[in-house]
Amino acid sequence: MASILFLVIAAIGVAAALGTVLSRNLVRAGLYLVAFFFAVACLFVLLEAEFLAAIQVLVYIGAVAILLMFGIMLTRDTLGDDTTAIPIAWMVPGLFMGLCVFAVLVVGINNSIAPSGWSPWEGTTSRPSLAPRESEPAWIAERREAVNDMPRVIGVELMTRYVVAFEVAGLLLTAALVGAIALAHREDVEPRAPRATARAAETGPPPEAGEPVASSALS
Amino acid sequence: MAGVVLDEAWGSALAFAAHSQPVELNLRTWLRWALWLVVGFAVVFPGIVAYMVWLERKVAARFQDRIGPNRVGPLGLLQPIADAIKLITKENTVPRSADRIVHVLAPILVLTSAFLVMAVVPFAVGLVPVDLPSGLVYLIAVSSLTPLGIFLAGWSSRNKYSLLGAMRAVAQLVSYEAPQVLATIPVALWAGSLSLVTIFDRQLEFGWNVFSPPGLLAFAIFLIAGVAEVNRTPFDLPEAESEIIAGYHTEYSGMRFGLFFLAEYLSVFAVSCVTTVLFLGGGTPFPFLGFPVNLLGDSTASLILVNLILVTVFLLKVLFFVFVMFWIRATLPRMRVDRLMNFAWKYLVPLSLLNIFFAGVWYEMVIRPGRLTFGNWLWGTLVTGVLVVAAVYLIFLLNRKLAEAKPIGADWPSVATAAAELAR
Repeated sequence: MASILFLVIAAIGVAAALGTVLSRNLVRAGLYLVAFFFAVACLFVLLEAEFLAAIQVLVYIGAVAILLMFGIMLTRDTLGDDTTAIPIAWMVPGLFMGLCVFAVLVVGINNSIAPSGWSPWEGTTSRPSLAPRESEPAWIAERREAVNDMPRVIGVELMTRYVVAFEVAGLLLTAALVGAIALAHREDVEPRAPRATARAAETGPPPEAGEPVASSALS
Repeated sequence: MAGVVLDEAWGSALAFAAHSQPVELNLRTWLRWALWLVVGFAVVFPGIVAYMVWLERKVAARFQDRIGPNRVGPLGLLQPIADAIKLITKENTVPRSADRIVHVLAPILVLTSAFLVMAVVPFAVGLVPVDLPSGLVYLIAVSSLTPLGIFLAGWSSRNKYSLLGAMRAVAQLVSYEAPQVLATIPVALWAGSLSLVTIFDRQLEFGWNVFSPPGLLAFAIFLIAGVAEVNRTPFDLPEAESEIIAGYHTEYSGMRFGLFFLAEYLSVFAVSCVTTVLFLGGGTPFPFLGFPVNLLGDSTASLILVNLILVTVFLLKVLFFVFVMFWIRATLPRMRVDRLMNFAWKYLVPLSLLNIFFAGVWYEMVIRPGRLTFGNWLWGTLVTGVLVVAAVYLIFLLNRKLAEAKPIGADWPSVATAAAELAR
């Protein structure tokens, strides 16, 4: 049952990922991306991690995908129709980066160690029973705690074992934010919408020398 | 002395509620979920929504000195059924240039998001569809699907007004989601859990969350942001009929339009339910007493009695919120779009951020001792009350100063203008 569900969800996920890459229309690609994120959330549910699934939906569908769509709407090509395929010259580095990410994920997941220590991989693991049993291995107790109290466990792990990775990710996001502002903020453009300055010039006292530049950069 | 007596009285308000418990996946659980799905989600909630529409028409009519629907059935009570039949039998058109699949998918997405919110709301003891340990996050996650549906509706219609409406909707919903989520943090902090059932239980022990200054502020922010999240007046810019026809659902007809309509009223109902659970102690009739829940014995009769009281009070509270939303709609005009965004980002977000610190103070003073006492409550209220009032005053004062710094007719001041002012 679970393995059939997994296969179906994984197939949907792979199809959606392919659709994201191959779709000609930008908004359609975004929609495929949403489907892919949703498939990942379903996989989290299959792993009994409903907190992670909710966070996945909240962050990736509720925030990232929406902002992606909103970004598309703020460009000139509002309907996303004019998108052409990526030139071949960009495909090779893209493919290379994709493979690199895949390799990092494979290595990372294969070498992940539970707090109770390293244990061999199994194809399937059953859900731990609710009541603790005697002489059960430590990882079963850990699993039970993680399933039943996931937000707390994740919070503690992020603040102790993975604190460096957490901080680095935070730094990366801050850098991305600063970069986005630096890209979007244009100091020296011509006054694009001189409405406010023009009106101020008509009615109020003449603005100082530095002001028109400042207000046009804002508008 | 009085304090001691009150302590005794409040001490009796212990939690007897069915605590949040993990669920085994057996046949009974599956049966319960199936029952919820069939009875609750297919019959009860749509029925409630249908009669909310009737109620809104009646209430709005009273406000405008009219009679409202009174032709179909006594008091127009069969009007929702007639409307539903009309909507179902109407022709469903899809514009020729529209993106057909997305156009059909969008209203379903919006409706699903509205329905899924109801899945974690505890209506009474044991009367909760699914008690997720991280119910609050789930709630926020599924309600964040609405902007996506609205965006797709507007985008797939290939209509300028639809696109404008969708753009307004996404900007508004994303902006107001931030204060709404931040306003729920105090509640999660005080309950020490994200499960709505645990949050309900904690309010039996420590009084309704709204009866604390940070709770009151969070409640106000949550309610305002909630009204904005469901696109109702004064925040109905995405479907402003006097400016952009009907916004994102301009091109929808028949039952697909009906789905948007259903989703809007369902969201109103859901927001009212969530507010009741998070801030008004669910179905308990008195703020600091565990009243109906502490009568709970082992017998089925007591469970039914307690749940009857809880559900009745719960529905009364929800009805009150629904009425308040109708009232606001009948009273206030639509906001201007720049003021809408300013209100979210310059008033609500800073206030809700500050409120998290005040909630921490309240936690240390009242909830950390482990038991609600009158002295702790009074001191906590005094200290956090002063903090909250000062914060609200400060935020409003700062915003007013910022606005005054620019001449009339200028662009609304932003952080950059403030920086420019400072630089000069």
